[in-house]
Amino acid sequence: MSAILKIENLTMTYRVGKVDVHALRGVNLSVGRGEFVSIMGPSGCGKSTLLHVLGGLLKPTSGRVLIDGEDLTNMSDADRTDVRRRKIGFVFQRFNLFPTLSAEGNLRLAEHIHGQGKKIIDDETRREVLKLLRLENKMRHKPLEMSGGEQQRVALARAVINRPAIILADEPTGNLDSENSEVVLNMLKQLNRELNQTIVMITHNPEAAAVASRMIEMRDGIIVKDNG
Amino acid sequence: MDSLIASNIRQRPTRTLISVAGIALGVLLVVLNTGLVRGMLNDRIKRERGIGAEIQFTRKGSSVLSPSSVMSLDVRYGDRLSQIQGVKMVSPVGRYVQTGRSGLGFEQVDGIDFESYSAISGLRIVEGRIYGNENEVIIDEFKARQSNLGIGSEIQVFGRKMKVAGIYAPESGARIKMNLTDLQNFLTAENKCTFIMIKVDDPNQEQTVQKRINNELPGNIVLLTRDIATGFGRAIPGIDTFVRAVLVLSTIVSMLVILLAMYTTITERTREIGILKSLGASNSYIISVIEKEAIVISLIGVITGMAAALLAGWGIEKGTTLQLEFHWTWLLTAALIGLCGGALGALYPAIRAANQDPVKALSYE
Repeated sequence: MSAILKIENLTMTYRVGKVDVHALRGVNLSVGRGEFVSIMGPSGCGKSTLLHVLGGLLKPTSGRVLIDGEDLTNMSDADRTDVRRRKIGFVFQRFNLFPTLSAEGNLRLAEHIHGQGKKIIDDETRREVLKLLRLENKMRHKPLEMSGGEQQRVALARAVINRPAIILADEPTGNLDSENSEVVLNMLKQLNRELNQTIVMITHNPEAAAVASRMIEMRDGIIVKDNG
Repeated sequence: MDSLIASNIRQRPTRTLISVAGIALGVLLVVLNTGLVRGMLNDRIKRERGIGAEIQFTRKGSSVLSPSSVMSLDVRYGDRLSQIQGVKMVSPVGRYVQTGRSGLGFEQVDGIDFESYSAISGLRIVEGRIYGNENEVIIDEFKARQSNLGIGSEIQVFGRKMKVAGIYAPESGARIKMNLTDLQNFLTAENKCTFIMIKVDDPNQEQTVQKRINNELPGNIVLLTRDIATGFGRAIPGIDTFVRAVLVLSTIVSMLVILLAMYTTITERTREIGILKSLGASNSYIISVIEKEAIVISLIGVITGMAAALLAGWGIEKGTTLQLEFHWTWLLTAALIGLCGGALGALYPAIRAANQDPVKALSYE
């Protein structure tokens, strides 16, 4: 399986006041195309920082991050943003949908940014994603008119609609009840299986983590367990 | 992106309304002020030209250009002027300036010698008759129409009621005219006038006649009527500076309103900026979203401002003696000020938004 994500000796140190906080202390990881990886660990173990570095939202202190062959490490902010546009889809704990836009509007916006104004997502792909996530009848609704589970499904659709190289999911069930959590996790699984979508999900919930095909455990900024 | 802009404008109606009102105010300021300046100047120029005389003669401090009621020129200058070679006819005019009927602007009353004045200007009574006593005036057709006056209507002159005896045409000089002798009596200025209209034998020789008058009666003001256009601009002190100040103020108002509105909006939408960044939106994309939103708001403001200015202009012309003249160059200037002011005002908040840390923005509560 070819690696779509490769991390080598990744460190990240924050300066908080006069104190250096070592959020990542040398992380090595390789994720193959089509893998569904969960990263688990207690609060403060560095998993959110790792996800932000993988998504190009943060620049690491040292080490290398390669997404689909592109080295994010020495890139400028603008270049990392461009990689994010082309290759990464995000799913957040708080859904992070645009409240003023309908589900359709949220998806169209992601498509617009991805395609830089040009329509590059064909209607068939769109239909397939919406059907998979059972959103066909929800497209005119605004986020506040939908349940948490529905909102997260729209967020999933937004992340996957542009067929990114990798989806980074940050506690996607953290704001959902158990019923909706199960639905969302099943859909992540389905996206992984049916669209061969690579997914890296961070969670502190062992049950959610167990849905992934590979489980990684982090503690104090390093990977302590990897069943892959 | 378009629907993001449209939805933001719709979803924040108070912010949108305040911004639109701010831009509209700037546009209103420019359109109304320039319209007033232009309208008043051109109206006076048109009417001054309508008097038919090529030259106007007056003393310093009693200028035909200034809105004052000073009558310091002796009417007997008329006899001396008549004797100058090239002068065909003369007519003394006394000018009295009073506050406009609604308290806004001012209104002029000319005291004339009807016979010589009408001989020079072609003034004729189109309805009613000439004033017959000291309590009667004649008015032009515009004044009759605008103030809804007819024969026998009462009109305030010198703070007292006078009757409209007749309506005259064409428009020339002040819109209200009365007998010069009666005006002199009211102002206790016997044998005085404000200026003397001079009709020359050959209009092509007006400059030669002007020089001749200057040589024979030095120390007075001898103006060609055609130069009065530029003369009015100069006679109202600081008019250009005033117009420029209005333009600068309007631009600043537009900029500040949009800057404050967009700055507040950006703060409110910090999280949304973070989402855009997580979707891979570039800095230029984020700046363009905010700029486009500001330009759409500014455009609505410009249209509202124009409509308000036209409406206010109509009301001002109806209710006062002030005249407005809207010219496309000033309408365009006002529109550009509104749009550019809005775009410039949004630039700082837009750049600030684009440079936000995406992780902090995403965790913004």
